[in-house]
Amino acid sequence: MLRRTLLATAAVLGLALSAETALADGPQVVAGPGYNPECFAPWSADTKYFQWPAKEGPYRIALVNGFVGNTWRIQMIQTAKVYVETPGIKEKIKEFKVVSTGTDAAAQLGAIEDFINQGFDAIVTIAVSPEGFDRVIRLADRNGVVLVPFDNILDTDKVMMVNSDQFEMGVRSANFLLKEMGKTEGKILEVRGVPGNSVDRDRHLGFRSVMEAPPNKFEIVEIVGMWDTGTSQKVTADALAVHGRFDGIFTQGGSDGTVRALMDAGHPFVPMAGEGENGFRKQIAAHSGDGLKGYSYGQSPGLVAISIKAAIAALEGNVMPQLISVPIPEADYTTLKDGENFWSNLTDNFFTANEFPPCEVDIKAVDIMAKTADDVQ
Amino acid sequence: MNELRIRLGQNLGLLLAVLLFLTFYLVYNSLHPRGFSATVLVQNANESFVIVAVAMAQTVPVLTGGLDLSVGAIMTLVNCVASVVVNGSPLQMLGGIVLCLAVGTLAGLVNGLVVVVGRLQPIIATLATGAIYIGLALFIRPSPGGNVDDDLSWALTNDLGELFATYGLFEDGEAPWLAPIAWLPVPLLVMVAVVLLVWLPFRNSVTGRGVYAIGSAEGAAYMSGVRIARCKIAAYTLGGFFAGLGGLYLALQTSSGNADVPQAAQYTLNSIAAVVIGGTSLMGGTGGVVGSIFGALVIRAIAFNFRIFEIEPIMQPLFEGLVLLAAVSIGAARVFRVKNRLELLG
Repeated sequence: MLRRTLLATAAVLGLALSAETALADGPQVVAGPGYNPECFAPWSADTKYFQWPAKEGPYRIALVNGFVGNTWRIQMIQTAKVYVETPGIKEKIKEFKVVSTGTDAAAQLGAIEDFINQGFDAIVTIAVSPEGFDRVIRLADRNGVVLVPFDNILDTDKVMMVNSDQFEMGVRSANFLLKEMGKTEGKILEVRGVPGNSVDRDRHLGFRSVMEAPPNKFEIVEIVGMWDTGTSQKVTADALAVHGRFDGIFTQGGSDGTVRALMDAGHPFVPMAGEGENGFRKQIAAHSGDGLKGYSYGQSPGLVAISIKAAIAALEGNVMPQLISVPIPEADYTTLKDGENFWSNLTDNFFTANEFPPCEVDIKAVDIMAKTADDVQ
Repeated sequence: MNELRIRLGQNLGLLLAVLLFLTFYLVYNSLHPRGFSATVLVQNANESFVIVAVAMAQTVPVLTGGLDLSVGAIMTLVNCVASVVVNGSPLQMLGGIVLCLAVGTLAGLVNGLVVVVGRLQPIIATLATGAIYIGLALFIRPSPGGNVDDDLSWALTNDLGELFATYGLFEDGEAPWLAPIAWLPVPLLVMVAVVLLVWLPFRNSVTGRGVYAIGSAEGAAYMSGVRIARCKIAAYTLGGFFAGLGGLYLALQTSSGNADVPQAAQYTLNSIAAVVIGGTSLMGGTGGVVGSIFGALVIRAIAFNFRIFEIEPIMQPLFEGLVLLAAVSIGAARVFRVKNRLELLG
């Protein structure tokens, strides 16, 4: 009797599984243009477009983070939690769950598969490795789940992904320096990030593509600041001691450390392009009159909000680009305003770049910080 | 009856690990929308295989009173090797798999030789060899990538039915006799096979008993004629084999190789935690691989529950740490009840 029941259950389960397989095979590749192209801009002209069958909301969405423990990641998680509570988004989400799996690929893949099994509609993730997601992509497609890697994205074109154009950040930084320096030769300091990382490589290549194009003849001194304030301050101080004077500076991160090294060495302020740390923007605001003509771009923790928004748009059946290029949040010494794109009353290591007007995403710093305070208690 | 009591007394750590695992795992399954289903079991087995293999790898050197800080590195090295060689014709793939396991075993053998012949402290020796293995892994795979045969990956990371279906065996895995066992996850079966065919024969061999003897009292073991060098080398070599198995499986699971240094470190640390939770003494001499398997499963099962319960993401590592600390403390609590310290050695 028991055996028969078991067999029957197995048969039903089997049927259910095969029906599921027949129903969903992942997104259809369709022709563009996509939905809301100002916000969900395709990466390039040959980016393909996906469309999933429309599903009824509200949705269950999971965020599977990898490493946790630096300010960027923590701010990213808080941003996600603030965003899913904002009016207009709140109504579309039934459940929002966050896990951090550490730098363990097996655990991250397991968590994604688990959320697929739990019947979540979309999973947003920062991949711990650009490879190795074939199995979960296959399972997500089978189960009609929208998987959205962002920030550290995958080497595949089978899923919808969200990132900012790192190469373009380098290009814009170079153009800003050229404009502010008003000359085509001189000595430039380039402070690079973590070696071997694609973000570091792309920003560097973007910067060099402009600075080394004729007629420019710059001598570029390259140092490694590891995207870290302390390291940047130290290596900048060393570079100043060896090379004397620079005409412009480009840094990928730890920008406030580089500025501090300039001040300590008594080096005159020069035009400078750097990341979106609150500390750097505070320094620009305070010293732009003395020559610290600064430009601040950012890989925003707010990318998570765009990714959630993209997942919802995809679930609603809209046509989406496979690779979404998020507009780069930026500000320079002419546009900085206290309380709007930097905060003189907040800590230096807060990442300021959080506003994406075309996406109607504007998460206020105070909200994120308030959320953080709640969680600490 | 009396013998049963002694047996239970000797395996308290294992019992505790099993109990903890069952608690976490049953809670997880009861609250999971598809709890107690084959799908969930397959996913959990996949996620747990590598950490279980690495915990097994750590156990054998620990039984001798040593420690192997290179298990995560060996796992990573074999993962990178597999992403190059497990490909092509069935024969090539088989050769690749054998090569992977051989690389793991060889790395373990080198550890054993450095410890025994080089007379270095295991903790320092394996720290150094671990750095070498990570270096080799980075040399083979400077950036993540490579490929492992898709069908093989899919077949070995699913249930038995899917394995046969992929290769068109036994009526595509739908033969009637197969039905009662078709839901069993392949990784679970592989693990059981490894315990039955590798670990138990080893433990019951003269060398295996020698490993325990060395951990209990090296001097006494030497005086009793245990061949210390051979047993120690064998322990590290077997550890290398287990770690290699984990690396191979990670390659199957991810279809790629990645010389991820932080990940290797995380696996090494977790392996030590799993060994302790599983009731193996870090002083050596008592415990075993089966306990460590459950120790590793406890670590995984805690994380499973994070996906079910609403726990503040930033608090998750703290919570996991507290549970692990509690688990280890319960295991150690029996020390307080012992009137004569000598009883601990029994």
